[in-house]
Amino acid sequence: MKKAIYLLFLVSALFLLAFGTALVSVKKASFVLVSKSKSFIAGNAIELEFHSKSESEKPQLFIIHSYGKTVLDATVEKGNYKFKIPENYSQKTGEVSWFLINKNETTNSGAFEILPNDKTKTIIENYLGPRTILAGGKEFTMMVTVPTDGFDNPKKENTNVILKHQFLQNITNINLKTKDFIAWNDIYSPTKSGKLLVSTECNTIATKEIETEIYPNIATNFTINYSRNHEFADGNQITHFTTSIIKDRFGNTISDGTLVSFIIKTKNNSVLKTFGTTINGIASGHILHPDHQETFIVKGYITGIAESNSITIEYKPAISSFNYSFSNKNRTLRVGPIKSFMNQLVPDGVKVKLVIFHQNKIIKIRYQDTSKGIATFNFSEDFYKENTYQFEIYTMGITKKIPQLNYGHN
Amino acid sequence: MAITNKTTVRFVLIASFILLNVLLLFGLSSILNYLNSGADRSTMLHLEKETINTYLPKVTWEELNNAGRKMEPNTLKTIEKDYLFSWYIKNKSLQNNKKQGIEDYYTQNARINLYSSIDYNLKNKICIESTTLQHHPKLEFYSEDGQQVVFTDKNVIEYQKVFKEDKLIAEVQDTATYKVLMLLEDGFWRVRHIQKMKPETSITTTEKPTSDYQIVGKKLKFKNADFTIKGINYYPKNSAWDTFGDRFNKDTITNDFVIIKKAKLNSIRIFIQYDDFGKADIQPEKLEKLKTLLDLAEAKNLKVIVTLFDFYSDYTLESWTLTSRHAEKIVSTFKDHKAILAWDIKNEPNLDFESRDKNNVLKWLQQMITVVNEADPNHLVTIGWSNSVEAINLEDKVDFVSYHFYNAIDDFETENTILDKATKKPIVIQEFGVPSYRGFWNWTGNDNDDQAEYHKKMQAIFKKNKLAFMSWTLYDFPNVPDQVAGKWPWQKNKQKNFGFIDQNGKEKASFSYITN
Repeated sequence: MKKAIYLLFLVSALFLLAFGTALVSVKKASFVLVSKSKSFIAGNAIELEFHSKSESEKPQLFIIHSYGKTVLDATVEKGNYKFKIPENYSQKTGEVSWFLINKNETTNSGAFEILPNDKTKTIIENYLGPRTILAGGKEFTMMVTVPTDGFDNPKKENTNVILKHQFLQNITNINLKTKDFIAWNDIYSPTKSGKLLVSTECNTIATKEIETEIYPNIATNFTINYSRNHEFADGNQITHFTTSIIKDRFGNTISDGTLVSFIIKTKNNSVLKTFGTTINGIASGHILHPDHQETFIVKGYITGIAESNSITIEYKPAISSFNYSFSNKNRTLRVGPIKSFMNQLVPDGVKVKLVIFHQNKIIKIRYQDTSKGIATFNFSEDFYKENTYQFEIYTMGITKKIPQLNYGHN
Repeated sequence: MAITNKTTVRFVLIASFILLNVLLLFGLSSILNYLNSGADRSTMLHLEKETINTYLPKVTWEELNNAGRKMEPNTLKTIEKDYLFSWYIKNKSLQNNKKQGIEDYYTQNARINLYSSIDYNLKNKICIESTTLQHHPKLEFYSEDGQQVVFTDKNVIEYQKVFKEDKLIAEVQDTATYKVLMLLEDGFWRVRHIQKMKPETSITTTEKPTSDYQIVGKKLKFKNADFTIKGINYYPKNSAWDTFGDRFNKDTITNDFVIIKKAKLNSIRIFIQYDDFGKADIQPEKLEKLKTLLDLAEAKNLKVIVTLFDFYSDYTLESWTLTSRHAEKIVSTFKDHKAILAWDIKNEPNLDFESRDKNNVLKWLQQMITVVNEADPNHLVTIGWSNSVEAINLEDKVDFVSYHFYNAIDDFETENTILDKATKKPIVIQEFGVPSYRGFWNWTGNDNDDQAEYHKKMQAIFKKNKLAFMSWTLYDFPNVPDQVAGKWPWQKNKQKNFGFIDQNGKEKASFSYITN
């Protein structure tokens, strides 16, 4: 009987041992988060500590951060498992999610926050744009400023930023607060053109100035004038057109390089054009004098934007008449010397037009430029085989008709 | 002797001359080839990349109400594209621990942070596969000069697999909000600051609207009445495994549906192939064909189980966003279609357990169920497992359990009972059948009478236990693609002869036992 009890006891002890160990090995280790802090400052060391009754676990911590994900191993000390967050993560702000993984299972999870470090040097990035705007208060440039801490983390919401801008005598300070990483402000253009300087200041750190160019607004109507050496239509001198100083409606001289077209209408309604770009508000255009009596009506335009008054310019004929002579059995015609308004020879290159008729039909039109006031035409026997020809000579607005000439054949 | 010697010498000389020439030509050509490599001028350009077929998580912008300049729709699209690429590149680089592409989507100051993360992981042999499933960005600010943009990407759902020393240690899903500042630099939007924040508490109603189909205990109900599926797997005779291909014909399908209806069946199962429908970029003409088929089914009052992702087996995280868009597009298009009974996520996915890792396959299926349920709350969801043992996988996620039975008929009741006890959901025997093929490749196979006998027995069991069934298949097929059964005739011929109607359109003996 005693033996039986012993045996029973022994067997039950054996059972207990066997199943007892089995129970222990199945039981999962549980972890408790020891670290209480849920927010840290960027750049400071961050450590998460867990406690478990089981001292021989090998848990791992998976973290998700704004700029990456990684797995950390623990250092163990008497059931306290410590995870040190690597520097590249602890320096950058944002929410960090963590998942404690033990034996391929996520046992705990949570999150902590890393805040920007205001003790480090503030760095400010400014973006200003558009960098050129028109004067007049309708257009604006936008200053966007992104203040960060020394680790390039955007500052907390509602961080104070002072925006300063200067234009001529006016210096303006605006207090802004950051929202969504940035602080921003629209700066409207003044009525005067010039440079607008902008800078910001945050946490006593100031930035360099950035500038936006305020360009004059668009041109208003203007007047034109002309000047010339003399009033004769000599085909040689140049007439200059100049505009008044073109201004926008706020009195700013318009930007250099604005294109002004001078449109010229002649007596017989043909249109000539000349162009000039403005310098200091004045554009000038040039045109050659006509070679015959002419009236120009001139008007200046800045296409689609502004126009000028129109002016009329008269050109007097440079010559009243000219001489000509035939020689070499009428086979050579010499026109000239053509003399201009003060009896000087006309400049070289004056066009002489000769129309040749045979029995009242035009058979040829020839042109010749003058040289030293004279233009010479030859009529070779090989080409001009008829017995009679008539001629008309045109130059500088004057016409001479020559009655029928005989060309005998020998 | 002297002559032979001379010939030999001559032969050797000529041969070596030719050989020398061949070598010379080969050498010259490889030098030219080398000099030409990298000469493609387009490689000098930083060309725009397409997100389609690369990375397509679901992105829903909140209504535009931002500070600063008014956003142009085109710019928003470009920003979205570049932002998604920034995620794609980040995911890729954390997976491979390579820095490729980061400089295209992160500014100089931002990329340093990613580089240090990659360096740390590389040193510690950590790699993380990840993907994002949903983005809900809200535009906060757009600068006047169009160079800076700030938005809050709310409740981004991230899914990741964590590996250390090539061993998977965890799979984690996390939801977080990100605030992002992007800058336009030489035509590309690059991330300047990205900051993870606490997720917002979202108010989403996950309640299923009352639909025509309900699961009540082990019963499938249609408009509150018991509905027992008596169905058949359907391919048109001449376009087996290619229902929506070039041979798609309305008349053929109409005729077949008449046959099915006359046989007193009430449902069919059809298949949609991933590639055929255009992958992530669904082809509209395929949807049109599917609609035609569904409309015809509705006209004949046939219910349809649509099997998605046929011939598809990439379960990697990298392709999740693409397959999600594929399923979402098809499912949401037909969410109100009366003909559809259920979406079958995939045909026999357990066959990929070994080659593609069981865990990968299950996680993917689970994700697809989520996508399908979100896109279409009106219809049921199931998975067509290839046997009753595996059918218990994801039993809690599907609306009803489907499996295929091709074992010995005597085992059927035992197998079905075991599964029935293991699940609380209704069960559908979604495929079963035998081929009637006795011929050169199979002397001992079943003939038409054996096939009829098999169906007779099965139908008797179904009737006795009121089981839902879908037989395989309506027709004997003249052609079977290689991917289905294999390329050898003894494999193919078997697969060709599962039908109730032979290749000439004549009803086989088994046709009398097509239902109970």
